[in-house]
Amino acid sequence: MRVTSSFSKYSHRRLPSPITCAWLALLALSVASAFLTMMPIAPKLLGGGILILALAKSRIILAKYLELAHSPSWLRGFTMVLTAFAVLIFGLYLV
Amino acid sequence: MSDTSLIDELPGELLMWVLIISELLVFGAGMIAFMGVRLTDPAGFAEAQAHLHRTGAAFNTAVLVTSGYLAAQALHWRQAARRGAARLALIGAALLGVVFLIIKGTEYADKAAQGISFETHPFFLFYYLLTGFHAAHVLAGVGILLLVSWRDDARNIEAGAQFWHMVDLVWIMLFPVIYLLG
Repeated sequence: MRVTSSFSKYSHRRLPSPITCAWLALLALSVASAFLTMMPIAPKLLGGGILILALAKSRIILAKYLELAHSPSWLRGFTMVLTAFAVLIFGLYLV
Repeated sequence: MSDTSLIDELPGELLMWVLIISELLVFGAGMIAFMGVRLTDPAGFAEAQAHLHRTGAAFNTAVLVTSGYLAAQALHWRQAARRGAARLALIGAALLGVVFLIIKGTEYADKAAQGISFETHPFFLFYYLLTGFHAAHVLAGVGILLLVSWRDDARNIEAGAQFWHMVDLVWIMLFPVIYLLG
């Protein structure tokens, strides 16, 4: 009689696609942003946290939805420009 | 020496990337101007921002990222020769775009009912300009998604989906700047 281990049984299950993982990550980061705004923390800290989460979401869209994960140089370039933009926005917020 | 240039590494059409970068620069400049003008009256900007409906805007973020997911899946399915699934995903993405516009329209109607217009405060001038310009892109994106669901060549779908992801990307940065950084 052939014995199948639980490992081989479950290892045949399909993992979510990278696009599905990206979508779930975007939803999770959006929920995290919403929770952050409800927490009793200093507004300036809150602003920084919100912008970091927005940057993380932007990078996921660039890498997975716009497929720049296949072009690391462009992904790095876009990430650097978006980070500089977020730092500028945060700087103006802090003034 | 490599026989492919950096430009060749970009997925899809080069002109679509020129459009994406141009749009990001325009919206980015608008958001920087918004934050710059805010410095002249931070208390007034915070008070004006309190009139916005953050929950509706946060929900719209989930609507747009889900719509972007369907557009990305549509390209994947079309490349796998699953034309029916790709078309349905594109129509679903377009319908979610319509949901976004309905929520945005409700938000504008609520502001109008409160007597809030462009002239109420500089905050609302930027609010209407930036979110209105973005909503115009959503409207255009809905049309493009429906068009490529009809003319469903993989290259067409790729270009349409890229436009839609750009609209999504702009909203991801616009939402915290306009609605949350009070």
